[in-house]
Parts: sequence; structure tokens; C-alpha cells
Amino acid sequence: MKVAITSVVIPIILALAISLPALAQQNSTITITMTGLNEISISLDKTQWPLGTVASNTEYETSPQIQWCTLTVQGTCNVNTFIVGDDAKWVSDPNTYKWTLSNDGTNSEHIYGLWFRISGDTTRGYVPITKTQGEFWPYSGGSSLAPGDTKQFGLRLLTPTYFYSSRQMQTQITVSAVAA
Amino acid sequence: MVGHIKLAGLIPALLVIILPPLTLAQDVNFGVSPAEVRISDLPPGNATEFELVIHNKDEIAHNFTVTTFQPPEQERREGRAEFPDDSWISFSSPGIEIAADSQANVMVAIAIPQEQKWAGRDWEIWLGVACESPDLLGVELYVRCLVSTAGGKLNIGLFIGSAVGLVLLGCGVYYYFRRRLKSG
Repeated sequence: MKVAITSVVIPIILALAISLPALAQQNSTITITMTGLNEISISLDKTQWPLGTVASNTEYETSPQIQWCTLTVQGTCNVNTFIVGDDAKWVSDPNTYKWTLSNDGTNSEHIYGLWFRISGDTTRGYVPITKTQGEFWPYSGGSSLAPGDTKQFGLRLLTPTYFYSSRQMQTQITVSAVAA
Repeated sequence: MVGHIKLAGLIPALLVIILPPLTLAQDVNFGVSPAEVRISDLPPGNATEFELVIHNKDEIAHNFTVTTFQPPEQERREGRAEFPDDSWISFSSPGIEIAADSQANVMVAIAIPQEQKWAGRDWEIWLGVACESPDLLGVELYVRCLVSTAGGKLNIGLFIGSAVGLVLLGCGVYYYFRRRLKSG
């Protein structure tokens, strides 16, 4: 009798001891919170810069220089903004020829530079646009942009010191935003 | 003669390139909501989903793409780690055409594999919505997606209560056997 009871009770105690931590875990009701029903939105009033034919090793700037395009923060939330560039690819055959975007705004053979400058940004002046996402409006000091804010900016292109002629090149610059 | 050849090769190299296509300039204007999604207590082995609303505020139709983006560490919310695997996130339609001044919904599903190592984690990943365009300037909007998994933290009260119960049960069994031995 004693052996029979022991053989029942000990497994129960062992089972409870093993399952206790699992029982003690918190309830798992999944909660999804949409922060308010905030909308994130920015707009640009210009998206094209038709340069036409360009020469090698030459700088081109938008006109007006730093009030060429206006970014407007819409939506209902403050935003941090970024800018990123890309290689310029030959429109006819993007896989065979490109200008590589430099990582410091300088140029070389088949390597070009891109810069942007925001009106009112007196500390940075022209800032290189690279293939790594960087700050557009400098928010790291705590100055994110609020709905209704506008920022005017311009671009500067530095063509390669040498490139293949008669090829139409195309690139893209992406301005992005995330809730601050 | 050599000088002439060099010059002849140089002239074409100086006269090229057009950056963006020569079409009428357009603006780009759209919005995404919500701007931030916080998912809490998602147990490993479970999935959940929510909707993103994309609002095309432009006067013409546009194609939009939805992708995931791993933000750099300094851009993440405090205490949030990198989301381990983008493939755990799927979209009802990664590309969608939205008519002028209209909006559309994209369903986002997040599924966490059933492995205990993913319990009790806090991650952040961004969902990028971009307007497809051949233009020089493009816009991408990111939705912060904050995912916390369940199961990693112990409920101290329940744990202590259960432990005390276990000890009492053990004592009960002990005294029961003692009484049986004495009476026997």
C-alpha cells in the first residue's frame, strides 16, 4: 500500500515541479496598439531635374540653388527625415554601365558625387548624398519636423572625371521619413 | 598626331548624359497610417496581423510597394533589438496600384517561429511604403513596427504561490504517511 501511494504521489509532485515555471509565465493575450491613428506623410513639390547634356568633371546646381524643392510635412505626427542616393545607371542597359555614387561627394572616373543643401541649415552647408541613408533635416539634436513644417533644399551634381559618351544616365534620390 | 587622337577621344566624353527623363515635373504626395504599430505578448509559434492604410493624395494613380527595412541601431526605440528575420513578415500585396485621391489597405502578417529562444524579446523593424517612379526624387514612408514576444518573464506572485502550494502538498503527503505508519 505504502509503495503504491508513493508511486502515485511522487510522479504528481515531480510533474508539478516541472510544470510550475510554465504555469507561472504571464498570460499571452496578444495586444496590437496602433499609436493613435496617426498618419505619416511628407510631400515634395518637385521630383525631376532635367539636366540635358553635361560635361565631365563639372558641377551642376539646381536653380534656385537651395530653394529648388520644398518638402512639406503633412499627416499628424512629427517625423525624422532621411536621404539616400544610388548609382546612376545607363537607361538603355542598366546592367552594363553605371556611374558609381561616391561616398563623400567627390568624383573620379565613372564615379560621381551628389550633394544637397537645405535652406536655413547654416551649420552643414552642402552635405554629400551617399548610398547609406543619412539625416536629411538634422534631427539628432532633437529637432524633428512637425506637421506643417516645410524645408526648401537644392541639389548639386559633380560629374565623373571621365565617362562613356552619348549614354543617357538615370539615378534616384529617396527622401524618407519615420515617426519621431 | 598623337595629340589629335587624344583630343578626338576626349570630346565625345565631354558631351553626354541626361539625368532624369525629360518629362513634366510632378510632385509626390501620399500618406500611411498608422505611423507606429506596437504588438505586445505575441507568443512564439503564433501569428498576428494588422492593416496599413496607404492614401494616394496625388491627382494621378500610382503604384506603391511595401517592404521591410532594418533600421540602424541608433534609429530604433530604446531597448529594442533588430528584428531577427524579415521573412517572418508578409504582406497581402507587396505592390498595389492606388487611384488618384484614393486609399487602399495592405494586410501585414507577423509570424514568430515556435522556439523558446524567441520568447520575451523586444524588437523593432520598419515597414517602408514607396511610390514607384522613374523620377530623380522619390519618397518612402516608414511605419515603426514594435514587436514584443510573450513568455520570457515569470509571474513572480504565481510562481511563489505555486511553490508554497507544492511544499504544503509535500508536507501533507509526509504527515499522511507518518500517521499511517503510527496507526499501522
